[in-house]
Amino acid sequence: MSTETTTTTTATSRFNIWEWIFTTDHKRIGILYLIGSIAAFIVAGLMALLIRIEQSSPSTLLVDPSEYNVWLYFHGAAMILAFLIPGLTGFAANFFLPLMIGAKDVAFPRINAFSVWLFYGAILLALLSFVIPDGPDIMWTAYPPYSIITEGNTAFYVFTVHLLGFSSILGAVNFLITVIYMRAPGMGWNQLNLFVWTTVAAFVLQLVFIPVLAAAVTLLLFDKYLGTHFFNPDMGGDVLLYQNLFWFYSHPAVYVIFLPAVGILFDIIASMGKNRIFNYKACVYGGIGGIVLITGEVWVHHLYVSGMPDWIRIGQMVTTLLISVPVGLIVLSMWGTLYKASITYNTAMHFTAACFFLVLLGGLTGIPLAMTAITVHLSETSFVHAHFHFIMAMFSTFALFAGIYYWFPKMTGRMAEGVLGRIGFWANMVGVNLAFWPLFIIGVQGMPRRYPNYERFPQFEPYHDVATIGAFIIAVGMACTLINWIYSAFWGEPAPANPWNSKSLEWTHTANPPGPGNFSEDPVLDENWSPYDYEAK
Amino acid sequence: MGSVRTPFRRLVQGFALAVLLGAATAQAAYYKKPVSDIDENIFRVDENKALGVKMDGAVRLRDETGTSLKLADFRGKPLILVLSYYTCDGSCSLINQELRDLLAEVDGQQLGADFRILTVSFDAHDDPETTGAFAHHVKAATGLGPGWTFATFEDPEDIPRLTDRFGYRFFWSPPDRAFFHPGVFLFFSPEGRLVRVLYAGSVEAGDVDLALLDARQGQFRPSEVLEFAVSLCYSYNFKEGRYTYNIPLFVAVGSLGLGVAAFSASALVFRRRRNREGTR
Amino acid sequence: MNRITRILFSLFGVLAAWPAQAQNYDGINDPATGWDHLWNEVLIDITVIGVIFGIAAIYMMIRYRAKSPEDVGSAKPLSSARAWGWALIPAAIFMADDFFLSAKGWTLWNAYRQVPENALEIKATAQMYSWEFDYGNGVLADELLVPVGQPVVLRMTSMDVLHSFFLTEFRVKEDVMPGRITYLWFHPREPLETFVTCVEFCGTGHSVMATAVKVLPVDDYTAWMTEAKAEADAEAVADAAGTES
Repeated sequence: MSTETTTTTTATSRFNIWEWIFTTDHKRIGILYLIGSIAAFIVAGLMALLIRIEQSSPSTLLVDPSEYNVWLYFHGAAMILAFLIPGLTGFAANFFLPLMIGAKDVAFPRINAFSVWLFYGAILLALLSFVIPDGPDIMWTAYPPYSIITEGNTAFYVFTVHLLGFSSILGAVNFLITVIYMRAPGMGWNQLNLFVWTTVAAFVLQLVFIPVLAAAVTLLLFDKYLGTHFFNPDMGGDVLLYQNLFWFYSHPAVYVIFLPAVGILFDIIASMGKNRIFNYKACVYGGIGGIVLITGEVWVHHLYVSGMPDWIRIGQMVTTLLISVPVGLIVLSMWGTLYKASITYNTAMHFTAACFFLVLLGGLTGIPLAMTAITVHLSETSFVHAHFHFIMAMFSTFALFAGIYYWFPKMTGRMAEGVLGRIGFWANMVGVNLAFWPLFIIGVQGMPRRYPNYERFPQFEPYHDVATIGAFIIAVGMACTLINWIYSAFWGEPAPANPWNSKSLEWTHTANPPGPGNFSEDPVLDENWSPYDYEAK
Repeated sequence: MGSVRTPFRRLVQGFALAVLLGAATAQAAYYKKPVSDIDENIFRVDENKALGVKMDGAVRLRDETGTSLKLADFRGKPLILVLSYYTCDGSCSLINQELRDLLAEVDGQQLGADFRILTVSFDAHDDPETTGAFAHHVKAATGLGPGWTFATFEDPEDIPRLTDRFGYRFFWSPPDRAFFHPGVFLFFSPEGRLVRVLYAGSVEAGDVDLALLDARQGQFRPSEVLEFAVSLCYSYNFKEGRYTYNIPLFVAVGSLGLGVAAFSASALVFRRRRNREGTR
Repeated sequence: MNRITRILFSLFGVLAAWPAQAQNYDGINDPATGWDHLWNEVLIDITVIGVIFGIAAIYMMIRYRAKSPEDVGSAKPLSSARAWGWALIPAAIFMADDFFLSAKGWTLWNAYRQVPENALEIKATAQMYSWEFDYGNGVLADELLVPVGQPVVLRMTSMDVLHSFFLTEFRVKEDVMPGRITYLWFHPREPLETFVTCVEFCGTGHSVMATAVKVLPVDDYTAWMTEAKAEADAEAVADAAGTES
């Protein structure tokens, strides 16, 4: 199988910008998502550096708090809404999901193209926060009444959410229909790549929950600019309702990010370890399915100290803790897939291996935060901050980077293995631990989040300094990684047809990169086919 | 508004209203405007200050039979406190009568079994005799069971102590030979904290029902889940002193169907298109 | 399999029966000490899980390196019974731990919510960016002064936006909202001086919205309260005189 000589199609035609702008090819749309989300990532990453510099001193160092709040807003909103979600469900799903299921394109290619341009519109709108006077200073959560009475332009936040939400819903509809109706002949539900399953789950969550967030921020907009009183308690509004609606979407959004990241990791572990997925059905139906079922009933853990009735705080403590059951099944499958594997270590596998430890750190620190009484002390401290940076930010970013390395030959026809990539990995790995461990420690001691000044807590300064150094080491790692990608995309070593000897459809049946229509001949599969069938015959 | 016993009707009503009207704004109405040149706002209870304040359980009262009671005796169940006086022929008795008429429509919760009412006179001149006459007047020809107590303060000095505590202002107007006072129903939790203030004249039976549910502070029986769920459809309006529809909740629940509808429509379109291509 | 199930059930039984330690001081169930205990227990719980899984991952990552590029993994697919076992048994173990932690968390939560009868009640009002404490007798203060040895319950509300009252020393926190009353309580057992911070984002002054919290010996507290009360009464009299004239 691996001896077949497939011609690698690089630079088949001359570059034409209009072909990219008006493209309806899912692969090009995927690349557009990648470029847009990486751009958002770079800007939001620079904000993170500025935030860390400001926090290296207990008093005001760079700017006054109003500017700092705009940075924080942008960092949070852009990282989650414009980098992680579009990177994982926009880029990765667009490029690889049709390839993995043997489809020529998605169900509605033109709607797909429309989604990506909505996404670019949202990024532009978000970036305008820095240009307009009084940029939004409302954090990514935008809780009223502050988001209503502030002089900051809440509208930019609301319209950004609208555009991204609309884009995501269109994407979700498109991909769900693609997976349901356009799988290659013979491909059953139990033969799907785990990345396909996790992406399907993420899109189901997006489809159901995004409209709630869109509705909530729309009412926020009415309250601020049209003088309505949906969230004003004086006029019969409910000040707590917004928080409930916000987290009703935004907790599932964590799984919209986490699940595709896990899916990428599974595919990499299987390909690099030449191994079957451990307990595939338990992982899919128990793990992924379980998360989809439970994730809509746990949002109150974001509101443990928000004056909700006691019975709901206790009830959702139990549901939140129970999330550990499906997550535990997924984790067991991850670990089990290593068992008796035959692992080849390359840059993709390095990032993947790191994710095993990030998911432990981030996931296990979530257990105390699931407990209402423990969270009374920990909520809104940097413990929470470190927790979600490990599980949501760093774990998912590492998984996405692993995926980019893994699929780099597929996208560009060239390899991105090299010293620079390894330096990038190790700098990231060291930096992440330096940046966020100190925040766990001072979080337990009571360091509040979102504090540009912490003159009341001078004892925490050394910890913040270490975290700041860590952030800069991450920045070095990110720079190495990005330079490595750009260099390799143009001048990297040409890739063999199936560099990892993977059994997954996108590697066995398509060229690097795949041409229009993806498959030179339509793949037809039998019931014994599996993307994870590596058993020695 | 109907009673909570017909929650579905109210849900439907609420939905229709939310969709059609949006937030209706009604001017705060008072039961009786005593004199036009008095600032109405002095007859409002400042909820920012008064909410959550606990009544002093040690205050002693005397009922129509002359029996001595303590305010603490009224803990353990939600309580509606009505401040009134018994020798008037004006608004005070009407406030109590209004409450009586509203209760006739409240059938989700039973007076006595689920909550209590306490009418206390802030007029130091009232005695068990006027109390009895007044109680008889209010309760006459109703089937209201026990659970509604009429009383006076044993110690007149407790009157300002209690009214000040809740920001309740009243005064005697010699020319009118009457007290001017707010027409409010004060709702207390079972532990005796002020939870809601409803203004006579602008409330309906549904408001009383909702305020009583609120007063229970989330303690409801499993059989009342539906009532509780319905109560979420309303939120208290401080400006108007009554409950209004919680419109964002309707919008959010409605929006839950949006994605599913978009998906179903697209799936139909896709299948039709594929069938057309297949037959071609 | 049967034996494993039995062991599992007995383990769950033991965990469930583990008596929740009440932290009693002068007959008061203090959540702050309870928090420290529970935190240590949870920390042990997650560290044990983390170390087991971490060592397993490192071991397998090293042990199962490819010897040659042609090597493939040698794991066989699970039989149906084993697949079910590997799903249900771990799920049961995770659930057992979840319910154990839930029970512990609930117990502590009850301590947080059950205010002692003799608690000193103070009303806290937040606004951008300061705190005000109303002692209910006319005394208003912008710092929170409380006597040693008596539990303190705060009834809180906000004049403008969301805030959150965070007293690190006593492990308590609750949001403060306009139009709603929230509460928390703590038990100061020795004199100390600390501060309250706002931990719900509330605008540009969010990070400086702090004020002193002083736990005073009873005598000092009484002296302060007497003086403050006298001042407040004098002011009230002056105000009344001002409105009458």
